[in-house]
Amino acid sequence: MITFQNVTKTYKGSTVALKDCSVEIDKGEFVFLVGPSGSGKTTFIRLLLREESPDSGRIWEAGKEIGNLPKWRIPYLRRNIGCVFQDFRLLPNKTVFENVAFALEVIGRPKHVIASQVPQVLDLVGLTKKRNNLPGELSGGEQQRVAVARAFVNRPLILLADEPTGNLDPTTSLGIMRLLDRINRTGTTVIIATHDAGMVNQMRRRVIELDRGILIRDQAHGVYDLDGETQAAGAGSPTGALVEQFPTAAPEGEVSGTGATPNASDPNVSDQTMARP
Amino acid sequence: MALSAAYVSREAATNLWRNRLMTAAAVLTVAVSLALVGSALLLKQGASKATHLWQNGVQTIVWVQPAAGPAQTDAIQAQLRQSPYVKVCDYKSQAYDYNEAKIVLPPDELAATAQEQYPASFRCVLNDPSQAPAVYQAFHGKPGVFDVKYPGQAIKTMQGVIRVLQWVFLTVAVVLLLSASVLILNTIRMAIFARRREVSVMKLVGATNWFIRLPFMAEGLVQGLLGAGVAVLVVLALYWGIGLNQTNAAASTNNIITQMSLSGWEVFGTCLLVSIVGVGVGVIGSAFAVRRFLDV
Ligand SMILES: Nc1ncnc2c1ncn2[C@@H]1O[C@H](COP(=O)(O)OP(=O)(O)OP(=O)(O)O)[C@@H](O)[C@H]1O
Ligand SMILES: [Mg+2]
Repeated sequence: MITFQNVTKTYKGSTVALKDCSVEIDKGEFVFLVGPSGSGKTTFIRLLLREESPDSGRIWEAGKEIGNLPKWRIPYLRRNIGCVFQDFRLLPNKTVFENVAFALEVIGRPKHVIASQVPQVLDLVGLTKKRNNLPGELSGGEQQRVAVARAFVNRPLILLADEPTGNLDPTTSLGIMRLLDRINRTGTTVIIATHDAGMVNQMRRRVIELDRGILIRDQAHGVYDLDGETQAAGAGSPTGALVEQFPTAAPEGEVSGTGATPNASDPNVSDQTMARP
Repeated sequence: MALSAAYVSREAATNLWRNRLMTAAAVLTVAVSLALVGSALLLKQGASKATHLWQNGVQTIVWVQPAAGPAQTDAIQAQLRQSPYVKVCDYKSQAYDYNEAKIVLPPDELAATAQEQYPASFRCVLNDPSQAPAVYQAFHGKPGVFDVKYPGQAIKTMQGVIRVLQWVFLTVAVVLLLSASVLILNTIRMAIFARRREVSVMKLVGATNWFIRLPFMAEGLVQGLLGAGVAVLVVLALYWGIGLNQTNAAASTNNIITQMSLSGWEVFGTCLLVSIVGVGVGVIGSAFAVRRFLDV
């Protein structure tokens, strides 16, 4: 579904945002993208949205190489990708229904499609009752649900989320994560850039860690960071009880790279990347 | 894809209403400048028409010396026939001129003259009225020729005045059109700014570039068209108001305005051109704004 091949990205007058990054993500995977601030997570997502193009290396997405996609094709690429942000990016003067419908309207979907798809996705995110409210009348969690609904209403192949729970409390965050998990189970590939250690540790899904633009870890049932693993897995932690709510999350993860040796060309990393099911 | 006219017009109308003050300013500037363009065009067409009339109406006259004999008169006639500039010539005898003088001159002055003192003349229509100076060169001072007269100077002065007026109109109009484009550009810029959230969501969910651009372009187009509409009204008011239309032309032929009278088609053409320029200004202004500020 997504392949990065030795991708390097440097912004003008800045240090390297992504350096020689190679990774493969299959259809239907659920991936956390972690790393300290400025490590290149947002850059990774912007490359997938084709808001930026790589300086070198190649990117395939949904069967197409997108690195040098002509400008007029970009909108059609984005119709296959849903995206959610920390700040929701809802239109304040449109109702919940209108916000979600807008995403279909502006890509020219006919009225009857909108009339059937929007209520369906509002039902999925549990906001049927609030369909006529304005975003200003909703809580942060509800607003993010609207954003997820808008990202998913066109049934994209890939759903990207850049710190979707950055503004939310743990319980609300969990609700959003469960929603993304449910969307993932419909076959949509989900990639989440996050700083939310508790969430990553609970879910135990694939974790890709970046550090100063270098891919330093790619772990199948990973944790947020290796140092904190024992602490997060420890019983009695405030979020520990929530693990049970994710039956698909595996309790233990295999580690292929280590934070101690930041080296993207580490053969273990690429081996494991290639060996993924 | 279904880029519906309904969507584009609804979005454009919303934007226009939101920025109605700026819209009004832009529309008025377009209207004033286009009204000037239209008037300049009417003036130009009227002037060329009037010039044509004057040149054709007033003949080039070769006066024969009263003392000249029939042989000399015949020689002049033969030369006129051979001249490549001359289409036809009409010989008017001394008696004819004397009779004309009888009408014009008061009786006492007429009594002081005799028919023999009046020159006979050839009243000539030229193939091309503007070649009258060449005819003058060819016949002035020839044996038996008293004088050659043609209506050159008066027409030249008239044309000069009209040409200057036309350029003044057009220069002012062009300056105003430029400021109109800038005003339209600015209203579109404000509309883009007011809708930047929508635009960023549209980009994110995969709206095509033209889908995002067209409502803004349509807004500029409407502003240009509205301005052109007002300008067309001004041009039509000029046409009927000061009597450039042909119904008045029959009434008196001496009036300069009636000599400049235009057909309905010519006025229609002027209005069409004014509308096209209006649309052009609107589209160019908004295209610049969209390219510069929309980034899609
Ligand atoms: N538009 C830009 N222009 C110049 N430099 C940029 C731009 N965007 C990001 N950078 C730089 O690229 C590097 C990676 O940034 P990026 O936003 O990808 O990090 P991040 O992992 O998303 O960080 P955070 O967790 O704080 O969101 C940083 O050094 C940043 O300063
Ligand atoms: Mg970021």
